[in-house]
Amino acid sequence: MRRILQHITLAILLTASLAIISSCNDNCIGNSTGIPLAGFYNGDKQVTINNLTVYGIGAPNDSVIIDKTSAKSVYLPLRLTTSNCKYVFNYNTDGVPNDTLSLGYDAIPYFESHECGAMYNFRITSMEHTYHAIDSVRIPEPMITNADVVSIKIYVR
Amino acid sequence: MRRFLYHIICIAFLMTAVNGYSQDQEQQQRKVTPVKPSTNKVLTPPKGTKEEIIQQYLTGDTAQAKAQERKDSLAKIYPHYPKLTELSLGLNFGDALLMAFGQKYSSFDLSATLNMWNRFQPVLIVGLGRAKDTPDDMNYTYTGKLSPYFKIGANYNFLFKNEPKYQLYAGVRLGFSTFKYDITDVTINNPYWGEYDQSYQLKGISSNALWGEFLLGLKVHIFSNWSLGWEAKFHGIFNSKKNESGNPWYIPGYGTKNGKWAFGLSLYYTIPLNKAHWPVKEEKKGSK
Repeated sequence: MRRILQHITLAILLTASLAIISSCNDNCIGNSTGIPLAGFYNGDKQVTINNLTVYGIGAPNDSVIIDKTSAKSVYLPLRLTTSNCKYVFNYNTDGVPNDTLSLGYDAIPYFESHECGAMYNFRITSMEHTYHAIDSVRIPEPMITNADVVSIKIYVR
Repeated sequence: MRRFLYHIICIAFLMTAVNGYSQDQEQQQRKVTPVKPSTNKVLTPPKGTKEEIIQQYLTGDTAQAKAQERKDSLAKIYPHYPKLTELSLGLNFGDALLMAFGQKYSSFDLSATLNMWNRFQPVLIVGLGRAKDTPDDMNYTYTGKLSPYFKIGANYNFLFKNEPKYQLYAGVRLGFSTFKYDITDVTINNPYWGEYDQSYQLKGISSNALWGEFLLGLKVHIFSNWSLGWEAKFHGIFNSKKNESGNPWYIPGYGTKNGKWAFGLSLYYTIPLNKAHWPVKEEKKGSK
């Protein structure tokens, strides 16, 4: 009897050890912080904008987000130290002036998980844009998290 | 006249022949099925038979006597423990052991287990848990404040035929905890806008959780009334309070939120109840 119990004890200890090892999951899916993803649409269909340059007004060293690139969507990083950002969409096409998109938002400190760590989420509170190549803008997901989903839909002419 | 005498002689001969044949048949039947003579002899009952059963046999209540014999025989195979067999008080210190191997959280609890019929065991658990971790290459410190948790459940002892000193059991638990945690030392970089080492702190985030556990356990007598127990648990969260500030990493009494397995090691002090009604262990043949 005692011998059987010893075997069972050993089995449980081994199971527990395996369980502890297998529970060490260090995957982090998604972005490290909330960044809104803007997609370009014409009607219900997502479209590609050719030769597009996007940059934020006030970015250090005039750095661009994308430069003369064909894009169906673009990430628009938000500033942490202010509550609004303004972006320029340069189509690099004669006769089509630049558009600007302005976003107002609240930054929300957020602990995602042990693996992804601490970050900011954002709640978009206001939006303005010009009407050159952009027809309208919708924000189907005002809460910006690290999920890889289109939060801003830019409808182009 | 002559003809008439001839007929009478024939009939007389036939009657004699039939009578002789029937007498032969009777003699043959007597030989094949002899009648057993009735007797008043009383069979001696096996040695060790209870006096009560012997009396039942003597009074002619054979069915009752046989039923009683069977009951006694089963009682030897399935020892019957009283409804309240024993009460065990336990201290779970498994996390103290695992912290020595680098685990960043710990739970300690006290349990009360009532052993009923040496088979069913309702369990009540009260404990405290805490956590503190600053993971390598990450941007925060997680502090789970010392918070209480409660569990209720029951075990089923598979070794109910044996003495309660040794138990192998399966169990279920329902756990609940309400707790708070802090996220501190946060540093965030935003390279595009040239914002580096942005920091914040989240303090006193409150949450709660309800979860269930399946477990397999072993309890082994050490000395006197003291026992040692191991438990391997598989668990899942039914519900946890979501918060705008984030998700808890550690739940007191449960472990890390993503973990599906846990391990417990407990020291028990057992108080026997109704020991006078415990089945007496029979001496082995030949032992003095």
